Amino acid sequence: MSFRKASVLPGFGLTFGFTTFFLSAIVLLPLAALVLSAASMHWSDFVRVVSSPRALGSYRLSFGASLLAATINVVFGFIIAWTLVRYEFPGRKIIDALIDMPFALPTAVSGIALTTVFAQNGWIGRYLEPLGVKVAYTWLGVTLALTLISMPFAVRAVQPALQEVQHDLEEAAETLGAGRLYIFWRIILPTVLPALLTGFTLAFARAVGEYGSVIFIAGNLPMKTEITPLLIVIHLEEFDYQGAAALGVVMLAISFVILLAINLLQAWGRRRHVRAAH
Amino acid sequence: MSITLDQVTKHYGGVPVVNDVSLDIGDGEFFVLLGPSGSGKSTLLRAIAGLSGVDHGRISLHGRDVTHVAARKRGVGLVFQNYALFHHMTVADNIEFALRVRHMRARARRQRRAELLRLVALEGMDNRLPAQLSGGQQQRVAVARALAHKPEVLLLDEPFGALDAKIREELRRTIREVQRELGITTVLVTHDQEEAFAMADRIGIMNQGRLLEVGAPHELYARPATRFVATFLGAANLFLARRTPDGIQVGGKTMGGGAERSPGAPEHEVVAVVRPEEVEVAAERDALSSRYLGHGVIDEVTFTGALERLRVRLDEAVPAPLLASGDSDGSTALQVTRTRLAHRGFEVRRGQSVAVGLRRVHVLPTPLSSFTACAQSAPLADALSHQPLLAELVARMKTRVALRVEPSLGVGDEPCQAQGEFFGTTVIAAEGDNAQRAEWLLRRGVKDLLVLPAHAAPPQRVLIHWMGEAARSATLAVSASVVRHVSAEAVYVGIFPGRSDSERHSHGMRELLDARSEAQATHGLEMRTELHFGDVAQELTRRLAEAPAQMLIVGITELRHFAESFRALLDGGRWPVLIVQRGAA
Repeated sequence: MSFRKASVLPGFGLTFGFTTFFLSAIVLLPLAALVLSAASMHWSDFVRVVSSPRALGSYRLSFGASLLAATINVVFGFIIAWTLVRYEFPGRKIIDALIDMPFALPTAVSGIALTTVFAQNGWIGRYLEPLGVKVAYTWLGVTLALTLISMPFAVRAVQPALQEVQHDLEEAAETLGAGRLYIFWRIILPTVLPALLTGFTLAFARAVGEYGSVIFIAGNLPMKTEITPLLIVIHLEEFDYQGAAALGVVMLAISFVILLAINLLQAWGRRRHVRAAH
Repeated sequence: MSITLDQVTKHYGGVPVVNDVSLDIGDGEFFVLLGPSGSGKSTLLRAIAGLSGVDHGRISLHGRDVTHVAARKRGVGLVFQNYALFHHMTVADNIEFALRVRHMRARARRQRRAELLRLVALEGMDNRLPAQLSGGQQQRVAVARALAHKPEVLLLDEPFGALDAKIREELRRTIREVQRELGITTVLVTHDQEEAFAMADRIGIMNQGRLLEVGAPHELYARPATRFVATFLGAANLFLARRTPDGIQVGGKTMGGGAERSPGAPEHEVVAVVRPEEVEVAAERDALSSRYLGHGVIDEVTFTGALERLRVRLDEAVPAPLLASGDSDGSTALQVTRTRLAHRGFEVRRGQSVAVGLRRVHVLPTPLSSFTACAQSAPLADALSHQPLLAELVARMKTRVALRVEPSLGVGDEPCQAQGEFFGTTVIAAEGDNAQRAEWLLRRGVKDLLVLPAHAAPPQRVLIHWMGEAARSATLAVSASVVRHVSAEAVYVGIFPGRSDSERHSHGMRELLDARSEAQATHGLEMRTELHFGDVAQELTRRLAEAPAQMLIVGITELRHFAESFRALLDGGRWPVLIVQRGAA
């Protein structure tokens, strides 16, 4: 069996070798080191660390808030992308550039800024306070921070897909008698669904790994507003490298399972189409 | 009538893309909208489909006014150039789309789908995805999809544009067969005249947003009414010719007799169309079987299979001004096509001198043939001939400007000094004393006179008025010709003396409607109408001063009181005025 396939660019051997090396050195080796480090623990110690109530609470918060943030971003990211793609209005270019701001900002700055706004005496927080809504130092704040920093991923993933939806398709559907909602559900959404899933995946992955912005707004109460990455740092500060590695491995495993599930879902969607074709 | 368009107008950014189009398309008719890109044909189709609104006018489908009805409720089927199939759906789902929207039951849907797939010869393709089909097959699916909900009207927007020649041919036949079988009224938009000829019951030709002519393909080809149609629909040689009591004279030689003869009419200049296949070449004059025009030299010989194309440069001595020949590339070589048979009879080489004869000459009914820039000195006349509006008109009408020097232009009773009568449209620059100079020329035989301010650009609105019924028909004909060559809207300004009262008002409205229907029926001119009361010159001046970029076309029958009534309109040279003088004793 040969990997080779005719290509315009020569040098398959070189590029494939480089790819393998690069992936190994940058991604696989560190991950392996992490797993090895955790594996040097005794099994019962491992279980104790990763299933302590504090750890369980942090998983719930980390993954729950990340999934929620990714979901919010898919919905609002779609709306933002739609606005940017479909409408011409003054300031469109500026808004388009603003989308990427969370990329450029050090995440700690985002965290501090959010805290300033949403703290009890902050610009918005002071009006939410009488309503009984607390954002800073609660899970809401965590979700908010994660939504902010992962928003560009959702928008940027959906934008090109929306650009590709031909206006003709909507017009064709219209002449065939379809109303706006029908066109949205049957024509536009199916066309951009893969991009939406990609956006969700990217936003989710980014949110799970986030640390800098969250620790400022979360308040970091054990069991309540403590995210897993913070718990790992706490272990590190106590020189408990193995404990940190153990938590890291669990995060890795959960993230991997979720991302794999989304990928499989996409592959299944594609296969369904191809199967329908035969 | 299946489709009725009434003065449909659509602007984009102030520019009329579809300009006053009125059209009736009959039940079961296959109608082709033909025009160059940017002529507004696709916009018109989209307006019929309801995908783009109109700024003015009405659209009816089977007697139902749908001007303000949404596309999804119009009951039309539309096929796009790029198919616009739903890529995430199978062929079956694509075709059933309109049926699902209408909540048809699954069994009925399946049955209808099978019917449609048979119709477009795609049986068994139900479960394919569009990406797995060829371009031709995809377009068949698109046609089936557009027919699924049994629309009353099928609209096709350049449906063959993305296909190669062979598939195109095949799909053309399929669509024509389907159309005949269902008897569905169909409108096809294309820029390909061959396609239009092959498919159409009737063709409508559009240019610059206007529907210029409508007719059966062979009618339009044999007897075009406008320069654009003559040169767009097949190749054509355009000549400046004379209509004399004996018939049509091209290059001083009488060509057509018969139908073209109009005894009694004064001699005047016309534009003649000669199709390339109506030109004959022979070794010498006596060998011609048609009327001899003159000698020429073969410039180019191109072999295209069944036909041979020649370009023949006429001798300088032939006094037949050739305005354009088909390709609109500015060259003035005569285009000739010959069959293999003619080729075998008389072979020609490049550089050979031949006798040229014309078999059939068709005269365009257009009243504007050529322009003559008239001024007191040659440099002034030359400068006038380069005035932007005039240059634009000349280019668009594929005609020419002659120069004429009249040193005593406008001076009392002085006679004309230049030789010859006035032919075509005479142009003078608007300076002081325009009314006096205009009268001077009109008294000396000028029929159509354009008074042109130096800065005038192509107008956006042409106001039309005539003083005296005898000038009505000629004014409408001239207006129609002008409006065809500038993308302006035409407005007939009816002015009645005195003050408005309800009786006079309704009388005035009736006259306006009469004028409008004559313009439409006889001259193919779509125009709006306005009703004013008061002094004619005053009202026209007021109306012209209201907006920039307007032009006036005014018909007159007599020159009594000319200077008084036209002083306000002409002096100051604020707008172009075209005076049409007819019916004067």
